[in-house]
Amino acid sequence: MLEGTSGDHPVQPQPRQGHLEQMTQGRVQIPSSMAGEEDFFLEEKRFKQHCEEFVKHSQQIGDGWEWRTNKDLGDGYLSKTHFQVRNRHIAQDLREKTSDNIEETLLAHVEESLDDSQVAGVCTTEEVIRYEYHVLYSSSYQVPVLYFRACFLDGRPLTLEEIWGSVHACYQDRLQEGPWDTITQQEHPILGQPFFVLHPCRTNEFISTVLTGPWKHNRHKNYIILWLSTVGPVVGLSVPLSYAKVAPEQNSSTDSAESNENLC
Amino acid sequence: MTDDKDVLRDVWFGRIPTCFTLYQDEITEREAEPYYLLLPRISYLTLVTDKVKKHFQKVMRQEEVSEIWFEYEGTPLKWHYPIGLLFDLHASNTALPWSITVHFKNFPEKDLLHCHSKDVIEAHFMACIKEADALKHKSQVINEMQKKDHKQLWMGLQNDKFEQFWAINRKLMEYPPEDNGFRYIPFRIYQATTERPFIQKLFRPIASGGQLHTLGDLLKDVCPSAVTPEEMWLSNLRIDLRWRAEDSSDDSWN
Repeated sequence: MLEGTSGDHPVQPQPRQGHLEQMTQGRVQIPSSMAGEEDFFLEEKRFKQHCEEFVKHSQQIGDGWEWRTNKDLGDGYLSKTHFQVRNRHIAQDLREKTSDNIEETLLAHVEESLDDSQVAGVCTTEEVIRYEYHVLYSSSYQVPVLYFRACFLDGRPLTLEEIWGSVHACYQDRLQEGPWDTITQQEHPILGQPFFVLHPCRTNEFISTVLTGPWKHNRHKNYIILWLSTVGPVVGLSVPLSYAKVAPEQNSSTDSAESNENLC
Repeated sequence: MTDDKDVLRDVWFGRIPTCFTLYQDEITEREAEPYYLLLPRISYLTLVTDKVKKHFQKVMRQEEVSEIWFEYEGTPLKWHYPIGLLFDLHASNTALPWSITVHFKNFPEKDLLHCHSKDVIEAHFMACIKEADALKHKSQVINEMQKKDHKQLWMGLQNDKFEQFWAINRKLMEYPPEDNGFRYIPFRIYQATTERPFIQKLFRPIASGGQLHTLGDLLKDVCPSAVTPEEMWLSNLRIDLRWRAEDSSDDSWN
């Protein structure tokens, strides 16, 4: 069973399109009524708290997330590694096809619907890809950011084109609108190594479709769970439904202090 | 800020004389001569070395050539850092010209970002500009610009056109008169000795008491271990941090 493709995570709503496109013809302006930055920003302290809750729940259900601290500056990030099986279709010369191969092709579990190449006699091989996901905090955008890297078992890393190609089908249209603004290779700010990153400026677009009001009205929810379950599936990361049970601890004195911060 | 135009020009037109040598293990059909070039401090290696690539590819066979990458004394050079930063970080204490080794094989996947086209450099550059504006203006100025303005910034850098670049960049360097400066100063502190590539934190230009922060204040706040008692003279240089941020001509970090 292929991870990230079937029913153990909620169906993602289609991102709002028409309104934003009308207003942004030729311009990159986001109308102030929809300007996401203040509405959906997350302070670093709260980021750490929500990550802590997230890891606690992950440990309970064996979901594999852990928190890593950087000893120099005391900041840190969430980390998880998992393996994904991906089907790769290789066109084969029909003459080489044996009846065994054809049977294998028919029985292989494929994500995409059958197309011509598969009917014509295509050998399906399964490839195992090792994904490593990190969640870091961006002080510039004041949101969490998803970094990831992926390689085959022989160590060969996936290329940017392969990563773009593996973005979930629901999000391909969005990606094609602006691939260079969505997923690119960047240097990991703590490890200094090449990772792929899901750009945070687009995160607010995704998040705004999920929350029904500004973040301050949703403070009782765990931001990491909401955010990760929305953006994770774009890049093959699923968040099991059981996380929906997690409720952050209420702390009224922290809340009133933060509402003053919002004004600055 | 217009009075400081000389400083802006000096920063923009800063150059580093560099000698490019082909890595000795690369397979060539004849001897490869070194190639000399003046590199712009504010640009990126892969943006300004087309001639270097052509020069060495002339003596190599097609099948021996894959993605170019650069190295200095065994350290792969991160093309996504401005050239001036790379020099200051790795070679500032050595004699000029700066000697860089050119490779066409065995790309170091664990160290360097790929750079298969100019689009990659443009995407990186624009991402830096956008992040800087997120800090300075909550992204308002950059988001209000048209796509052609963004393109003009990039073309100005790519073609070394100071006026073309600053026609747009000056808007990113302004703030409304009622404010006393940017919201936060975009900065990064790079140290060659740490695993962590850089230090970046939120830092306001104005202190709570209303006085302007200096570069010394920033260093003390962000990496106190880097400022020893002997180096405290730096904190006495009352460099207005706003000035420093405004004069960084590629609107970013160093």
